[in-house]
Amino acid sequence: METAVIALAAAVAVGLPALGTGLAQSRIGAAGAASLVEKPELTGAIIIMLAIPETMVILGFVVSVLIMLQAG
Amino acid sequence: MILEMEKVRILGPRPRIHDTLLVLQDTGLLHLAHNREPGPHLEPLQLAPNQREERQSLRRALDNLQICLALLGHAYEGLAGAPMLTQPADLDRWSVLGRQLRPVVEDLRASLADLEEEQALIKKYVPFLRTFEALLRSERSWTNAAVYHLVLRREDAELIGQLQKSLEAAFGREFDLFRQDLPGEEVVLLLVVTRRVARAVERVLNEVRVEEVPVPASFGRSLADAAPVMLERLEVIPAEMAGLRAEIERLSNRYGLELQRGRAAMRDRIAELEALPFSLVTEHAFVIEGWLPAREEAKLRHRLASDFGENVIVEAMTPQAWADEDPPVLLGNSRFVRPFEAVMKLLPPPRYGSVDPTPLVALFFPLFFGLILGDVAYGVAVIALSLLAHTRSDEGSLMHSLSEVGAVCGVAAIAFGLAFGELLGDLGHREFGLQPLVLNREEALLPLLGLAIGLGFIHILLGLALGVVSARRMHDRRKARARALTVGMLLAGGVDILALLGYLPHAVLLPAAAGLVLGLPLLVHCEGFIAPVELLSTMGNVLSYARLMALGTASVMLAVVANQLSEAAGHLLLGVLVGLLFHMLNLVLGVFSPTIHSLRLHYVEFFGKFYVSGGVPYRPFTHWRPEGEATST
Repeated sequence: METAVIALAAAVAVGLPALGTGLAQSRIGAAGAASLVEKPELTGAIIIMLAIPETMVILGFVVSVLIMLQAG
Repeated sequence: MILEMEKVRILGPRPRIHDTLLVLQDTGLLHLAHNREPGPHLEPLQLAPNQREERQSLRRALDNLQICLALLGHAYEGLAGAPMLTQPADLDRWSVLGRQLRPVVEDLRASLADLEEEQALIKKYVPFLRTFEALLRSERSWTNAAVYHLVLRREDAELIGQLQKSLEAAFGREFDLFRQDLPGEEVVLLLVVTRRVARAVERVLNEVRVEEVPVPASFGRSLADAAPVMLERLEVIPAEMAGLRAEIERLSNRYGLELQRGRAAMRDRIAELEALPFSLVTEHAFVIEGWLPAREEAKLRHRLASDFGENVIVEAMTPQAWADEDPPVLLGNSRFVRPFEAVMKLLPPPRYGSVDPTPLVALFFPLFFGLILGDVAYGVAVIALSLLAHTRSDEGSLMHSLSEVGAVCGVAAIAFGLAFGELLGDLGHREFGLQPLVLNREEALLPLLGLAIGLGFIHILLGLALGVVSARRMHDRRKARARALTVGMLLAGGVDILALLGYLPHAVLLPAAAGLVLGLPLLVHCEGFIAPVELLSTMGNVLSYARLMALGTASVMLAVVANQLSEAAGHLLLGVLVGLLFHMLNLVLGVFSPTIHSLRLHYVEFFGKFYVSGGVPYRPFTHWRPEGEATST
């Protein structure tokens, strides 16, 4: 039972930020694609903006790993 | 580094202004500057009406030449070697050539496009024609019948049953419906009805939403009339197209070089006319101001002296004279660092006087890339792909530079692959006994996290230190003090954390904490109440480097999964294929992801601490070259 709860906690730690990241990226991606049509020189800035929300899922992943390591 | 620029003033007799501009264009060193204050006896040179007219007509002529070159397939080619000296008569000749050639080439291309379209159209009908060839031949003899030709997508085939039922309900047995499935995604139908019910049939077709194949008007009134004409045209069109292509090729060979010469000469002349208003003139003299790298000044002086003697002189302006101006920016880095300037091209150039981070990008970008990818085999693949791109790209092009960056990143990936003992994930360890030299990424997750955050800590500290330098150079003392304080507080925080983790003696804990407490009010004094937020954000920036560990772990886990799937295949050849497929997928992800995240760590976390953008790129007045051709100084 305890193992299942730990696994669930680890999954939630990475899963929820992943949803948040996906939501943010979908909006940035759509706006970025629209901007690129008018200003192709913004490619670099848009790629970076698209990568910014990934911090959430990456930190979520780190927390998830920490949960699993703490649980042994 | 940002090269030191110098502003010079070139003075000479007014009648020599044209020759001087030609020499300046030839040397390609001077970034022309608008003269700010005309002064009591100086006035900006205006183009004479005939010069404005010449510029207009040259632009029109250039348009003709560019269209001809594009249609003949020479759009991006350039001329090797030094530009030729051109006379006004040459420009006239090229202008006439462009005017006469453009309609010819446009007609040829339009005819070719028409033929391609016609061929595509007929090819669309061919399956229908071939399937119902016999019926179509006899169609003209059916005086009392109306014929409908229908094409449906296979996924809409259920409409056929619906059509059949509707027709039976309306006309009993007064129709014939032939069906033929084509090899592709289409089904063709031929519907024959007695002429008297034709109108009613059309209504049924509309209700069922089945459209008749339209017969192109140019081929005949009905498909039966059009079929032989279309098939005949299909035989003839390739020869006609080959004839047109041969004619385009002939024109390209005959006029391609001449058109390119004309394009280069016209662009140079337009640039010269557009440079004239940068000058100030008196009744007898002219003044041109501009920027050039300080190390090139002697070269310009020498060239002007050898061409004009003492008639045209170059005067270096003191830095005080241009203190409130923004000189253009030219980066001058060593051979190893220069390719990484391509990575910087996604951002606006740094402002003159600030810090050029390219050398640090050359150090940290491959380091981060290698830390994430960290696999000997993947590193070798990245190097191989980079070498391929290097051999296939022109020197000086963006792709050439990026391929060199890729090769360095590949070397870093091999080095980290050896450090982590990874060759196609865990395959190297299991099959060849490859041992990790530093740590095993599959197991040592916490040490890897520590390494990533430690690297981030150093990177951010470096960024803040550069922020101090940059702020001092931009004469912003308050910002420089705030950055220096942030460095101190981060160091104190780092010492505290290491002491708490037992890596440093506990004795340092209290002094470092005291430093933190004392530093905060000072920071607020320097930067205002936003300072604590900035400090927290900087700590967040450091934590952001955890992505190096997270992505690295994901990369190695994917490689391990690829190996496990390969083994689970149960057959040697299938296993190799599955493994290869998944490793290729991992390689693509493994190249894309480290690139994006290394860029992000640089652009957002690192540059945010010191980078001052908004520099004006150095664009010397020079001869025109096609895009992508090297213009290094």
